[in-house]
Amino acid sequence: MTVFTYLREFCRLSWLKAFFTVKTPPLTKPSYFRDFPELTGKECTHCLSCKMICPCPGAIDVVQTDGVWNPQITQGHCVRCGYCVEACPEGVLTSGDLLARKKEQGLVFAHEYIIKIDTGKCMGCGNCTTACPVNREIDPHMGAGGTSLSSDVLIRVEHGKNTVKHNERCKGCKVCMTTCPNGAIHVIRNVAALQEDR
Amino acid sequence: MSILQQLKNAVRQRSIHVCYVNTGSCNGCDIEILACLAPRYDIEQYGIYVHNNPREADVILVTGGMSPQWIDKLPDLWDRVPEPKAVVTIGNCPISGCVFNRPGKLIDPPVSKYIPVTAAVPGCPPRPSEIISAILGAADILFKDYEVHQKEKEGGGQS
Repeated sequence: MTVFTYLREFCRLSWLKAFFTVKTPPLTKPSYFRDFPELTGKECTHCLSCKMICPCPGAIDVVQTDGVWNPQITQGHCVRCGYCVEACPEGVLTSGDLLARKKEQGLVFAHEYIIKIDTGKCMGCGNCTTACPVNREIDPHMGAGGTSLSSDVLIRVEHGKNTVKHNERCKGCKVCMTTCPNGAIHVIRNVAALQEDR
Repeated sequence: MSILQQLKNAVRQRSIHVCYVNTGSCNGCDIEILACLAPRYDIEQYGIYVHNNPREADVILVTGGMSPQWIDKLPDLWDRVPEPKAVVTIGNCPISGCVFNRPGKLIDPPVSKYIPVTAAVPGCPPRPSEIISAILGAADILFKDYEVHQKEKEGGGQS
């Protein structure tokens, strides 16, 4: 092995060609890569599960074009977390192997609404109880602005204290949140990922 | 087209100098840029070289959503880059502010308000392959036949 061996090697056409043109494997994404969600072509029911679970403001919108609802991803806002793909009950969106994995694991999202009342701010005026549409349905007295003794209602002022009687009846409309003059009520949407039994 | 111009094109295609600027990002995008330098993606085989000096750079990579400290400094830095120059923004933050764009925020996106942006790579963070293809794409458009375009522009201005 002398320096001439190297020089001869460098003069070989195939070596020169490789030196100038060969690159490391091409710039492609692996098939399992969780890219921006794409439409699968299934029918969107406009339930907005995707929009409610999205952690980024302005990343997903459900828009209607030619009478068909479809989710639309805004690049530059979306962080490719894939929650919308997992949360969609219809499988409208797909991203990488996420949808296949979801099916394999039998993953479903259950949600409940929790009403949190800040007792320090609440003055017991009862605006929320009369505004609540669930209350109105259960007891028409509430809807008319009156008081109710029924214990079936969702939320009621008892002895000057606002108490949540039936949390599970909350539909998450947040009317109580908007009517509260003190900002004492917060409606929290609590989502849990569950695995179905196989 | 003259032979000299062709030679310039050929050389410039394999010699893109990059300088990256972090205007308040979380370092996620910076790590992805770092991954471009590593052997897996190996940015230098495409002729992209990293200098952290705007005076040597052709392309500036901006990550982050413009923190208040950068608002006067980034246009200043942009003025110091010699022509021909381009800006490629990396990640969501320079476009929308992403997770930092909340009520009571300090950042002021988008970056395109302050300096002209040639290409934006969305993603939080984007893949290294996306970053490399964005740089190569932007550089191709900007630096190919740069002198010819410049002369055309000057000629158009005089007449």
